[in-house]
Amino acid sequence: MKKILACSVLASALVSVSAVALDNGPFTPDQSRAGRALYAANCAQCHGARLQGAGEAPPLSGATFIAAWGNRSSDELYNLVKASMPYGNGNSLDADTYRRIVSFVLAANGAKPGATAFTGAEKLKINAIADGKMPAELAEAPAAAGGGGAARPATSYPPGRFGVTVAGALKSYDPVTDQMLAHPKDGDWLMYRRTYQGWSHSPLGEINAGNVKNIQLAWSWAMNEGGASEVTPIVHDGIMFLSNVANTVQALDAKTGELIWENRIGPAPTRAYGATRSLALYGDKIFVPTTDAKLYALDAKTGKIVWQSVIEDAKEGYSNTGGAIAIHGKILVGLTYCNRYETKHCFISAYDSDTGKVAWRFKTIALKGEPGGDTWNGLPDEFRQGAETWIAGTYDPELNTTYWGTAQSKPWTRASRDTGGGSTLYANSTLALDPDKGTLKWFYTHAPGENFDLDEVFERVLVDHGTSKDLLTIGKVGILWKLNRVTGKYEDSAQTLFQNVFTKIDPKTGIPTYRKDVQDAKVGEWISSCPGPAGGHDWPATSYDPKSDLLVIPLHQSCVLMRAEPMEKKIGVGGDAGSQRLFEMPGTDGNLGKLVAYNTTTMKPLWSFQQKAPFLTGVLTTDGGVGFVGDFDRRFRAFETQTGKTLWQTRLPTSVQGHVISYSVDGKQYVAVETGLGGGSPVGKPTTLMPDVHHPNNGAAIFVFALPDQR
Amino acid sequence: MDLRLGLTCVLALAWAAGPAFAQGASAGSEAAASGRATPQKEQFETRLAASPLTDGTRVNITGEGRAHAELNGNMLTLTADFHGLTSNATTAELYDGPGIAIPGPKAFDLTVTPGMSGTVSGSVTLSAKQVAAVRHGHFYVQINSQKAPDGNLTGWLLPPHADPGQDVPVAGAGFLPQFDVPAK
Repeated sequence: MKKILACSVLASALVSVSAVALDNGPFTPDQSRAGRALYAANCAQCHGARLQGAGEAPPLSGATFIAAWGNRSSDELYNLVKASMPYGNGNSLDADTYRRIVSFVLAANGAKPGATAFTGAEKLKINAIADGKMPAELAEAPAAAGGGGAARPATSYPPGRFGVTVAGALKSYDPVTDQMLAHPKDGDWLMYRRTYQGWSHSPLGEINAGNVKNIQLAWSWAMNEGGASEVTPIVHDGIMFLSNVANTVQALDAKTGELIWENRIGPAPTRAYGATRSLALYGDKIFVPTTDAKLYALDAKTGKIVWQSVIEDAKEGYSNTGGAIAIHGKILVGLTYCNRYETKHCFISAYDSDTGKVAWRFKTIALKGEPGGDTWNGLPDEFRQGAETWIAGTYDPELNTTYWGTAQSKPWTRASRDTGGGSTLYANSTLALDPDKGTLKWFYTHAPGENFDLDEVFERVLVDHGTSKDLLTIGKVGILWKLNRVTGKYEDSAQTLFQNVFTKIDPKTGIPTYRKDVQDAKVGEWISSCPGPAGGHDWPATSYDPKSDLLVIPLHQSCVLMRAEPMEKKIGVGGDAGSQRLFEMPGTDGNLGKLVAYNTTTMKPLWSFQQKAPFLTGVLTTDGGVGFVGDFDRRFRAFETQTGKTLWQTRLPTSVQGHVISYSVDGKQYVAVETGLGGGSPVGKPTTLMPDVHHPNNGAAIFVFALPDQR
Repeated sequence: MDLRLGLTCVLALAWAAGPAFAQGASAGSEAAASGRATPQKEQFETRLAASPLTDGTRVNITGEGRAHAELNGNMLTLTADFHGLTSNATTAELYDGPGIAIPGPKAFDLTVTPGMSGTVSGSVTLSAKQVAAVRHGHFYVQINSQKAPDGNLTGWLLPPHADPGQDVPVAGAGFLPQFDVPAK
């Protein structure tokens, strides 16, 4: 009778989303036991060993999970996990693995195993079987998955040793000086955006609008797979220093692509996002901020480690993805994944280039009692998080000021954060700092109290217009901002694509006003945001062409309905707490990609074009009047800077992703671009919205093009 | 309001329309204080694309289409075609949101072909407020299906704008609804 009753309860549960509580099931003990190991192998790196969440990976247990999923059905959870996980590689595991993982997640939320195996098709209301309370026996993270049938992570890095794996030495190396960084040779690309001003522009002009159609592949080089690749090669005196996933640094002959030395610093990547966007050069060293939140100094000639410093504890989830900038013998780095409730907060830090000793730290969160501390609606300090710096800053040597952008506060939405209308300083701001002391000169908040993962963290481009020293930046919402970089005063702005987040921007102060429903949004409400979390603008950087005074901007066009999820106010809990449903941006006719050129004096657009695939590289402009950019659909193109007209294009093996640079060796100009995979929203959103665009899940490489040799 | 195919009588009411559209929009009716001017027909169009989705629901939310609407006084006549659904279309509706790309309540039912491809049609009589909403880009078409009952295809009715083609440059920033669709 009991069995019949249990079966009929289960049967009725299968017919519709059932609120009937199950004493046991809907999975077996074997499933949840095996699922625990599979979770550790495939999910824990992002979601946490105790399912507590971090970054864009939400908590999978506890009150926050039940609040988000309690009223939803188990098949919905299974289908979402199967379709989208592991991140960037959805549906790559076999169905049984997904069933086991979901079984473990349910068990970790208090669901009890039963006699019937979980198939994934059951429509059981999750809060009818789970209450968010993790059983004591699951509270301890399992031992590292090894045997026992644990699946190899989908983003696993090929096994191999770490350290200097290819020993070699440069014949000579001209130490990089402050003077060189301020005035680099035309053929060098010494830092992230080539110059302190962040222009991503090359003064080389051998390749021009007339002959770019003749460029050919000079050499290519396969790169590490298994993580997010968004690199910027650095070139000095004909040597290319290239970062790969697994914090691997290589020195290559920039003319031939021949490997000189390689240091696999490690650790191996275990998730599909968290890139090393760039390196820094200073003196006789290369500086490598790693994804496990350390800073390494390598001997530029040999690649051997000279010193290493801990930026923050990677076991707590911290990372560095934005690269570094070298100023006056100090190496400045940011920090990211500061989205757990805890007593620490995000910061920018500087290290002595000779010793690695910390010179200063600037905290990017205003705490209680500090200036700006009254902008968090009275939240205790441990619940003030975010304001990451995941793009390296720029620098004005004349003003001796470094400019950094900060990300939004966490979790994403006001309702989840309980910050009310507070601007949550110093999130989503431009910070002007003294690079010697780390003191704040001024700040400007672009999106006070931001609500949709619309960071304003990206490159700060420094341009002089006559005597006016300006700073331009564009964030995810797609507004191009112009500030006076001496005072931080707002000068102008321009909306580069459709946005419906702000109803107005004050013409004098630039302060935006959010839509009323955004201001009033509550947890659980779906609210529209155009653009969505991929922007607008994201990490693929802009390029400023001084000859034309044009800023060429790669943009992404998609929207989101976002729902604020509750975030339990508990130390150790973390994540972004925003569910998303993606949709096409109105008026774009299915074109996720847009490239636009703005005159930075008038702030007027000169030209634009749209295409289906979004751009996944930064833009490069050159003195040859040619620009370069690559996209999600494997295209790499050259365009005329003044008109946007495509002059040449080619198709590469996988998505073209990273930063394009140009350099010269022995008087010959080269253009280098990478193919790669992984990353956050700029890759995730088109993957969801454009299932008809296919590219292989491998193929990371660097491709170097040049004009054919004259014979 | 439910509508029927084969509605033959379309009432064209003299309508004192608002100000002309801003740049890029279709021609608007002239303000006619006397009420004697015949209003011009205003055109709107949209691509029908996937309704808001996730990786988990994407498999059931497929397809695309195009819709065209004509506003004649306070009569809005819409036609659309669609294809590529993974389940049969069930209903089609016009919604009135508080802003462009902001969901709102259903305003009207439309007639839809019950297949994985087909057409949508309908003529509706709008209130003055709804006429303004259409002009401001607040109306959107939604096609529902068996596997996506809460939205399979969606598109916001906006003034026609040029489509120069893939990666063909145009002067300026192109069509920006917040500037090229009247807000008031």
